[in-house]
Amino acid sequence: MAWEKRQRGGYYYTRSRKVNGRVIREYVGGGILGEASARMDAAERQRREEKAALWREERERLEALDGQMEELYETAEVLAKAALVAAGYHQHKRGEWRKRRGKQSTKD
Amino acid sequence: MENKARKTSEHEDMTPARRCELLDELKSAVAQAQHGDEEAFSKVGQLLMEFPLLAQSFVDLARTVERSYIKTIYRDDPLVQEALPSQLNAMREELAGAEPSPLERLLAERIVACWLQLQCADLVYGQNLGEMSMAESEYHQRRLDRLHKRYLSSIKTLAQIRKLSPAVQINIAEKQINTAG
Repeated sequence: MAWEKRQRGGYYYTRSRKVNGRVIREYVGGGILGEASARMDAAERQRREEKAALWREERERLEALDGQMEELYETAEVLAKAALVAAGYHQHKRGEWRKRRGKQSTKD
Repeated sequence: MENKARKTSEHEDMTPARRCELLDELKSAVAQAQHGDEEAFSKVGQLLMEFPLLAQSFVDLARTVERSYIKTIYRDDPLVQEALPSQLNAMREELAGAEPSPLERLLAERIVACWLQLQCADLVYGQNLGEMSMAESEYHQRRLDRLHKRYLSSIKTLAQIRKLSPAVQINIAEKQINTAG
């Protein structure tokens, strides 16, 4: 979004946007029309920025919660695996748990 | 008696850093034992016995996580904040069953925590559905998928531990637990 100075001295408000990957410059106008369009664009830009900031905040909040949960999830997984391994089991190709032949539990 | 006192004190003194260190140790011993390393195999049993209240310390963590979720997601709804913990307690008790081992208790805690996490994710997605951009919507859908998988996997682990019982007898807390057969 920019004001362009014309050769005859007037100012013209323009906005650029992408159409099919190409940047198209739209000539909006000068005077009151240009001024109004510039204000509308600025307000829209601010709304988008606020929304993006809110989204970032929301995402960070969710990720912080998920981070705490991650530790709990991992721990339970490790302890369950440890209990099975100590009992003489092994995980076959990351799938089912099978008793290792001739293996006793660590208690034995 | 002295041994019990030492273990209780270990639990009380167990800092989050020590917990992580211990878990890493256990994780690597489990991985090695899975490949037939005899020394690692003994170490797994030793670690499980040496730190009997490890599972319990993570049960406490589960409660903390749960409180954070409720406080953050339902911050504008005091009624839910009040009612949800008792619903979660009921779920926990039902899942853990009568006289659960510390490991079963921890796995039941994990299922409940995963369920809560999934509910919260669903709520956040539902609340913002009309206002989300494509990227935001995709992020929430991916998160929901991931949490759903974890929830199912948590249920599967508890079922597996119960199915393989009672041949596995390991002291991972003060009392003996049955985990495989």
